[in-house]
Amino acid sequence: MSAVVAVIVVGPLVAAMCGLLSSRHEVVRDIITMGSLAVVTGLAAWLLVVVNTDGPVAVRVGGWDPGLGIVLVADLFAALILLVATATILLVELFAIGQRRSAWGADPRLAGPILLVLTGGVVLAILTGDLFTLFVAFELILVSSYVLLTHQGQRGQIRSGMTYVVMNLFASTLFLVGVAFVYSATGTVNLALLAERIPALDDGLRMGIGLWFLVVFGTKAAIFPLFSWLPDSYPTAPTTITAVFAGLLTKIGVYALIRFHVLTGMDALGPVLLVLAGLTMLVGVAGALAQDDVKRILSFHIVSQIGYMLMGLGLFTVAGVAGAILFLVHQIPIKTVLFLVGGMIEVEAGTSALDRVSGLAARRGFIALMFALSALSLAGLPPFSGFVAKLALVDAGIDAVAIPIVVVALVGSILTLLSMAKIWLGVFWGSPVANGAGVPPAGSADLRPAGRRLMSVATATAVTATLAIAVFAGPLWEMSQRAATDLIDPTSYVAEVLG
Amino acid sequence: MIASTSPIVRLGVRAASPLALTVAAFLFFAGHNRPGGGFAAGLVLGAVVALRTMAGLQRPTHATGLLTAGGIVAGLVALAPVVVGSPLLDQAVVETTVPALGKIKAGTALVFDAGVVLVVVGMVIAVLDGLGAEPLSQPSSPPVRRGHP
Repeated sequence: MSAVVAVIVVGPLVAAMCGLLSSRHEVVRDIITMGSLAVVTGLAAWLLVVVNTDGPVAVRVGGWDPGLGIVLVADLFAALILLVATATILLVELFAIGQRRSAWGADPRLAGPILLVLTGGVVLAILTGDLFTLFVAFELILVSSYVLLTHQGQRGQIRSGMTYVVMNLFASTLFLVGVAFVYSATGTVNLALLAERIPALDDGLRMGIGLWFLVVFGTKAAIFPLFSWLPDSYPTAPTTITAVFAGLLTKIGVYALIRFHVLTGMDALGPVLLVLAGLTMLVGVAGALAQDDVKRILSFHIVSQIGYMLMGLGLFTVAGVAGAILFLVHQIPIKTVLFLVGGMIEVEAGTSALDRVSGLAARRGFIALMFALSALSLAGLPPFSGFVAKLALVDAGIDAVAIPIVVVALVGSILTLLSMAKIWLGVFWGSPVANGAGVPPAGSADLRPAGRRLMSVATATAVTATLAIAVFAGPLWEMSQRAATDLIDPTSYVAEVLG
Repeated sequence: MIASTSPIVRLGVRAASPLALTVAAFLFFAGHNRPGGGFAAGLVLGAVVALRTMAGLQRPTHATGLLTAGGIVAGLVALAPVVVGSPLLDQAVVETTVPALGKIKAGTALVFDAGVVLVVVGMVIAVLDGLGAEPLSQPSSPPVRRGHP
């Protein structure tokens, strides 16, 4: 099994290099990108099956002991998120190949290989078993995402790219200082050893470490009040890039937050997390209501939804953390789908501004259907995946007698539905205007029918996947609960890493 | 650029280059057990390339080739042990006695380091290429989109 983990981590990076080398041959490049992503996704699925039956897998890189070297650990939580993340990137790449010929697409010579580097970073962040490698993975993600964000060199992209990179580099610096802080306090950066040593520290030091990493991961995850970089920078990037960012980057921050804070037993931070969760939900959704562009509305929703995962974490119960994990599993594909639909709107109408597009439901029923399904799921209406995930969280909140946060979560859901209705009214209803009032972008005309079909297939597959989450909610919930149990009581994790 | 018209700078850089290459080679081999290694050696090599570029002695080229070749070499060496059932990034160590140098111990980590050198040098060249490829005095022309970073 350790070979599978090794290939999942190193494979995307080697494939990225091969992709760069063959940047002049379109077909070869696409085969390398799609092929390697498909292989990684397949291996991730296999890993999940194995971990689900046999327990966590730990790989000691170079054969070094956990205290000295790097350990890669695939427990149930990691394997589950890994599969969802890689499958999502695979679908986005399929969409990107279809969108190649439109002006909204990313430069494929660069975007494919750099997307693979980003995948390598995401995979490493999910599988790593120590804090310093997590830092390296975050840097890998940051550098590649900065390239993806700004590689078209448009004015808006460079401007908001600056905000993005400055905020994130600041968080990275804090991260590095925090790693030194943890090392001097405990003498290790290995997560399994930290799970034993941090709870033994005295309260002040423990809370200091917990709050420090809350700021670090909170900036990456865009929680209130550290989210300001997100709604500004995401909408400027090409659609496929924004879709990957929306689905993955902030979620990796949440993943690290859950991994670190639950594993090291930061229960005392629960109330702080719950207050931040409530504020993140409300401020994010209020921001979304004030926007008048599809991509900007969706960007504020990324922030708002982060609050729900934070709520599950803040409860620090098995049900709460399991709810957060299930929400993460639902949120990665659904956010990506919504941005892909936003991209299709852009390609069709030449803009994503609400007041310049209308009547798209009559012209493109398929896009309307895709949007409706994923928007209802985001708002948390039955029978979609969002309902399952939110029900789990609300249930956990009531069990833990945290009524205020449950009320905030439900209000947030209603407001989410309201802003989704705003997009629906603006974009899909009304009388069809040819190409909206916007000017069709140069290059949208030569979008080949095959390309449009590929985009539809990718979006439809992703929507189907989110519906599948609702259908298989039972087994997924059971799996999330076991993953949460292993995080809260890390005996099996520690035994596998150190044993 | 003033550096490229000054004979002192050109001569100095030309004379210093072999010395710097020696330092790079030393760092490369020292890195196994002492400070140094592929990254440090790559940086010294990169500095040589940067100096020679500024002195007008050479043009920075082949950035993508070096970068990708290095990445592929390093990645494959990292993955190779997995094929024979050893952990990721494990290395095979060879020990021999050579007449002039005495006992020599080398591992496949050297190949990995060579990949790192290529990546670092490629990166430096890519930056030089991106920053100062065209002389400033040329009439402004529309920016050309390049195929590599």
